[in-house]
Amino acid sequence: MTTDLRPVGIAGVGVAAPSLRLAAGEVGRAWGTGGGRATLAVCDADEDTLTLAWLAAERALEAAGKTPAQVSGLWWGTTRPPFAEGPSHPFLAAALGLGGDVAGGLSAGSPHAGMEALVAAWDALAAGHADVALVVTSDALVPGLGTAGETATGAGAGALVLIAFSPSESNGSGPPARLVDRATRALPVVDRVRGDAEAGTGDVYDARLFREEVYLPLVADVGAAIGGPPDRWALADPDGKLAAAAGRRLGGSLVSGEVRSALGDTGAAAGLLGAAGALDTPGSLGIVGYGGGRATAVAVEVQRPVPGAADVAGRLAGGEPTSYTHLLRARGQLEAQTDPIPMGLPPGGAAFVRGNAEMLSLEGARCRACGTVSTPPSVHPHCIACGGADLEVVSLVRRGTIQTFVVNQTMPPPFQAPLPLVVLDLEDGARLMVQGVPADAPEMAVGDQVFLTLRRYALERGIPVYGYKALRAGAAAEAGGPSGGPSARVQEVAK
Amino acid sequence: MSWNKVAVVGAGLIKMGELFDQSYEQMAAGAYSAALAGVDRGAPEIDAAIVATQRGSLWGQEGIGGNTVPSAIGLSGIPCTRVENACPSGSDAFRIGAMVVASGVHDVVLVIGVEKMRDKSTQEGLLARAAAGHPLYNRGETAPVLFAPFATRHMHEFGTTPEMLASVAVKNHHNGCLDPYAHFQSEVTIEQVLASPLVCSPLRLLDCCPQTDGAAAVILTSADRAGEFTDRPVYVAGFGVATDHPYLHEKSTYVGLPATTLASSRAYEMAGIGPADVDMAEVHDCFTITEILDIEDLGFVEKGKGGPASLEGETALDGRIPVNPSGGLLAKGHPIGATGLAQITECFWQLREEAGERQVAVRNGIALQHNVGGRGSGVSVVNILTRNR
Repeated sequence: MTTDLRPVGIAGVGVAAPSLRLAAGEVGRAWGTGGGRATLAVCDADEDTLTLAWLAAERALEAAGKTPAQVSGLWWGTTRPPFAEGPSHPFLAAALGLGGDVAGGLSAGSPHAGMEALVAAWDALAAGHADVALVVTSDALVPGLGTAGETATGAGAGALVLIAFSPSESNGSGPPARLVDRATRALPVVDRVRGDAEAGTGDVYDARLFREEVYLPLVADVGAAIGGPPDRWALADPDGKLAAAAGRRLGGSLVSGEVRSALGDTGAAAGLLGAAGALDTPGSLGIVGYGGGRATAVAVEVQRPVPGAADVAGRLAGGEPTSYTHLLRARGQLEAQTDPIPMGLPPGGAAFVRGNAEMLSLEGARCRACGTVSTPPSVHPHCIACGGADLEVVSLVRRGTIQTFVVNQTMPPPFQAPLPLVVLDLEDGARLMVQGVPADAPEMAVGDQVFLTLRRYALERGIPVYGYKALRAGAAAEAGGPSGGPSARVQEVAK
Repeated sequence: MSWNKVAVVGAGLIKMGELFDQSYEQMAAGAYSAALAGVDRGAPEIDAAIVATQRGSLWGQEGIGGNTVPSAIGLSGIPCTRVENACPSGSDAFRIGAMVVASGVHDVVLVIGVEKMRDKSTQEGLLARAAAGHPLYNRGETAPVLFAPFATRHMHEFGTTPEMLASVAVKNHHNGCLDPYAHFQSEVTIEQVLASPLVCSPLRLLDCCPQTDGAAAVILTSADRAGEFTDRPVYVAGFGVATDHPYLHEKSTYVGLPATTLASSRAYEMAGIGPADVDMAEVHDCFTITEILDIEDLGFVEKGKGGPASLEGETALDGRIPVNPSGGLLAKGHPIGATGLAQITECFWQLREEAGERQVAVRNGIALQHNVGGRGSGVSVVNILTRNR
């Protein structure tokens, strides 16, 4: 590296897991195969790679003590972004409260995308194009029906806040962990693929061939090329056994095994998710991501515990057990012949141009005369309390209490009962009505504390539609929402 | 003193129900005939009509206009305007009809409400509201969601119980058994209501009104000309309409509907009466909780006491203030544009003491009719009728 480049370190880490857990044996029972004993973290119908990415990124920002306004770039790596073509990056950026001028990029196309995002952010910071970067890696892949991938594919997200710092900063004053080395290797081989028209990802041609000729050579080679070598490793692990084999070749200890066992193969997120907990302990750490015939290794020197790393195990624990049939419905692989009732408006239409921005950024219109917040701004040119028209758009707090609620049991598809609908009083005085989640329905009560978390409201005419849902505080602490950091974020949105 | 410039001289409706065998036009013709048949003498020549149809899209017709009904009832050529004002569409059409007559522009005005609710499947009808409104903020908002949050909060603040809600359904189903025009003609018990499936907690199936096809009509003329058609006219004593914020999260309270309070205070003032003067009321009971809110907001009982009052029979046919003797929306049905006019028809019959088995005691000769609706109860209309000149 040239001396012109700035050193880059890690200021905070955040992780997220989806709300459901599937025993892989359920898959085996459906297909008459073994299935294995793995536990897989899987998405409910209202979760996907974007909602997981958002949650991990919110937690990383909170841990790092950074506000969205301080973030100059967002690098997101996910095998399969929510829009195959479309506004994936700006949707995530808007939900995170990042400005429209945020730099960065979206890496996709294979599980290697996570490492591509990390390295790209590092480059931009080192070169001086950004000072604080958010790196988000996430995946919620849909494996092909009946493939071995069904008993291995999990979901999750890991995010880092990276900062550039001055070489003169001592270990005590710089970031708690530093990125120190990297290497990449590639082979033009076909492993897991999905064609344009296919819903699920296909399997590798032959597991032995993949292990002996692709994964182990690449990962061992790229790992050997970094650092001094690192004494701990977080390795992408497509089948749950490969990382252990690669770890033996590399020497040192494998730290990614627990997360792999808890969540399954998290694809593009596997590297950062596997490494996140180890950022709590000083020492050297090698992170290796693999996918699509490429492997990239990044060496990290942890000097002090990275904020957020101590929370990793708790964030990934829990999850509601689910059935294979529920999962197939959630993934859209099991659909009723009956057509769902379409939304009144197409998601590409003008109402969504207005609606998406104010929902993702959670905007309200605050009256300069009386202070009342009217939500959402697009339908409130005048204050609901005093009728005044002198309003400023503000970003709302994502925490509040339940004023009243219902649990809807009778809705046309694609809605699934029980669906709580919650009128809530946000801590900044604004009031909203949003959906809750089924798991909260039985215990919900007036006065409950709730957090708002990003969820996929619908896949409408093939287009994902996002918005916030209310999670009861107890559930939010486990798996649903950020733990309150965003509530500090009350600021005017630049108009 | 009451306004009393306009009189109802005829009123009628068709049997409510799932009228798969009748078109919109046939229902309109049936209601018009019924209203004409309700005129004691003479054949009023209709100068103009106002039609209330809330939502043609519920049955696949986006473009119902003022011209559809005159043609269907053999009066093509007369002036006719369609009124849409959410669930109070029919009662607001009545109010506007009264103002038209009072203005002197038209002498005899037909106000007719017609609504087809069941031509489309249930899922494509009102349930599809789950997909309407702000594209993102109103996901999952079916019709019961517009009222059930008030039940949750009313229970929380006042200790209102599911049994109290159920007692409204029991009463109105009982009254419906005495009304040959009602959609439902069967008794229900509190136990049956509490055992019916949850639709939108805390509301169960029997807490909800059905989806009903129907039509109703009234004939209005000036108080001075009423004697040409009947010796027993019913006068429009007063009316009030009020709006509130349309979305549920914008309400100033979740234990009442401020639009109702405001509309009724205007109507009481215009009629020169108070709630204690009312002999009977037809109120908007789209859900059991709605009737409990109504009787509080209209001033018949103290705020918070609507549940116990219902359970204790204060609103029964022989109670202190009989409410919904026709069976209400819960039993008679809620064909939206027709609902208000069917309620007016019941008030007309009750004040003339023609209501048969469900006749209530008429002491002061005053009846009140009420609707509320419009997403999160953003509009309410109250009409007050009297047999006293």
